[in-house]
Amino acid sequence: MDIMVTTIINGILMGGVYGLTAMGLTLIFGVMKVINFAHGSFLMAAMFLTYYLFQLTGIDPYLGLVITLPLLFAFGYYTQKVLIRPVFKIERDVREPISVLMLTAGLWIFMDAFALALFGAFYKTIRTPYKGAVLHLGDVIISLPRLYAFLTTVILAILFYVFLKKTRLGRAIRATGQDRDAARLMGINIDRIYNVAFGIGIAIVGVAGAVLMPFYYVHPVVGVVFDIRAFIIVVLGGLGSIPGALLGGVIIGLVESLVAQFITATWTEGIIYAIFISVLFLRPEGLFGFKAEW
Amino acid sequence: MKRTMISFVLIIAVGLSLGVLGISKPVLAADVVIGNILPLSGPVAPIGKVGREIREMAVEEINAAGGIKSMGGAKLKMIYADSRGDPKVAMTEAERLITKDKVACITGAYQSAVTYPSTEVAERYKVPYLVPVSVRDAITERGFKYTFRVAAKASWYARDQINFIKALGERTGLLPKKLAFVYENTDWGTSTAEGWRPLAKEAGFDVVLDEPYPANAPDLTPVVLKIKRAKPDFILFVSYIADATLLMNTIAEHEVDVMGMISSGGGHSDPKFIPNTGKNSLYHFDACEWEADLNRPGLKETNAKFKERYGYNISPEAANVYASMYVLKDALERAGSADSEKLRDALAKTDYAKGPGMIVPYEKISFDKSGQNPQAQLVVVQIRQMPDGSIERCTIYPWAVGRAGYEPIYPIPSWKWRKAVGRAE
Repeated sequence: MDIMVTTIINGILMGGVYGLTAMGLTLIFGVMKVINFAHGSFLMAAMFLTYYLFQLTGIDPYLGLVITLPLLFAFGYYTQKVLIRPVFKIERDVREPISVLMLTAGLWIFMDAFALALFGAFYKTIRTPYKGAVLHLGDVIISLPRLYAFLTTVILAILFYVFLKKTRLGRAIRATGQDRDAARLMGINIDRIYNVAFGIGIAIVGVAGAVLMPFYYVHPVVGVVFDIRAFIIVVLGGLGSIPGALLGGVIIGLVESLVAQFITATWTEGIIYAIFISVLFLRPEGLFGFKAEW
Repeated sequence: MKRTMISFVLIIAVGLSLGVLGISKPVLAADVVIGNILPLSGPVAPIGKVGREIREMAVEEINAAGGIKSMGGAKLKMIYADSRGDPKVAMTEAERLITKDKVACITGAYQSAVTYPSTEVAERYKVPYLVPVSVRDAITERGFKYTFRVAAKASWYARDQINFIKALGERTGLLPKKLAFVYENTDWGTSTAEGWRPLAKEAGFDVVLDEPYPANAPDLTPVVLKIKRAKPDFILFVSYIADATLLMNTIAEHEVDVMGMISSGGGHSDPKFIPNTGKNSLYHFDACEWEADLNRPGLKETNAKFKERYGYNISPEAANVYASMYVLKDALERAGSADSEKLRDALAKTDYAKGPGMIVPYEKISFDKSGQNPQAQLVVVQIRQMPDGSIERCTIYPWAVGRAGYEPIYPIPSWKWRKAVGRAE
């Protein structure tokens, strides 16, 4: 029984982290209608940044956010400004630009290969003081690094939601997502919003990288491990929905944890995809239907 | 383009001149010519390179020590053929070595897929083919008379792991009863598990968990919790490095207490496994082909000599190659001739237990009817903390070749105790 409770808690905690990896993806999609295929590679870059920051200076991943967040925001901002925008301009009148998709796919392959050349193929981990630390509640065991990661995710999701709802910039981002042309007519600088949205999306990935590092490994293709999950979660929760991403993540985490207790772990993937396909069939706008919220 | 052309021409020129030298160099009548098929280019070229280096070192030693005495001090002469890791190329090369270079014997070819068809060529020409390491079972299961293998078969991994668990239980009087099989779900993991199942049944173990898992899963906590619920005494793993790291650290987090855990090399032998899991890796058993700390006379010196010459340690493959060269020398001494038939008969009667070639963990090297060395087996290491605090892989099994002064620590202490005294992360 205690193990089942542990299983459920682990599912929720891990699901929160999946949700966090999906949040940036869903924002970028919601605003720009661009599927960022390089998402996992940005996660990998964030993890390496966190890794080297810790290895070279001993700065804790959470504390290191002060440094990594602005860096990754700038990385995202300029990736959009320098690389994506020119391609975007050509397909200005298309609602879902295909060549940008190609560009991000190319970026993904480039970044992974570049990281392999730069950092080598070894799997690396860091050793924070709380690595492997656990919380005992009776016989229920909770991994502290995962708990921290989950709490950070929830706080970030709330902050981000409030930012989108209440601030001027947040409203402008949402307006751009809802109707690009109307937003432009209202005097919103679309290019700048795109830059900022992409920057924020990548900065959120930066948070994911930081909270993952204390209990995960980093490797040039580590992004792929989370990528597929993130795409499923985005569709599951509703494209462009922040709460949807978080809840979608928790659902995937729970399914993954619980399914493995009753049938072989290799089936987990199959069941996740089965859920994914049924959602596409029954509720194409996503399980939580937050689509109109934006 | 121009540069590639130039280097292309150069490579051909060098290749040709080497080839010409190889053929035109006068072979002294007394020399024993040995053909060696190795992957000297292609994706596994680094292994071919080590294979060539260790052969050169062994043959130099043999020749310097007076060559084959029963043949009036005849020297061994090596001819190398590049298989490029390609079975078809290897077959042609085997044919060339036999018909053109008139080799007394062939050795090689590292990759099972290359060894398999090239031994067939040697069988047809009735030339002995000494295989140091290719692991595919079928290589010595075709009723061939001229193929001899020194190292263990692939399926013996499973055999030796189960044997080790039994031996450990007998030695300590604490025989585990319940086993858990946890393995990655591709060919390697599933075929190893197929080997475990009948052996475990035969040995009277209960299998309480038989769990394949996807090696690229983002989270393996569910699998670890499943292990915890099954309450096994001993866990058997087949893992790559990413999953081995996650499994070990998660087992420590969730304090899954078992009597022992044994893995099958791969991720658990990866140089990053110990740094990634730190003290969580302590007391873990890993089955592998060979370790440099084996308790064998002369191994330390041989390894040091090799390291001085080439800059790195002898590899598990190389250790078997080195032993094979001495087995060949031993057979030639007894045959007293480079005649293929006589050499084959001498090889079949091999009983090599002592000598500079015995840097392998086997009791001795001999060949059964199928040409397999039945004494071949794996070693088991336990990850241990040294007095200076460093963490090392320490050979403990077979008991006879274990590192001097190290007994297995079994059952492994509980995680609660380990965390309290600093024997876990």
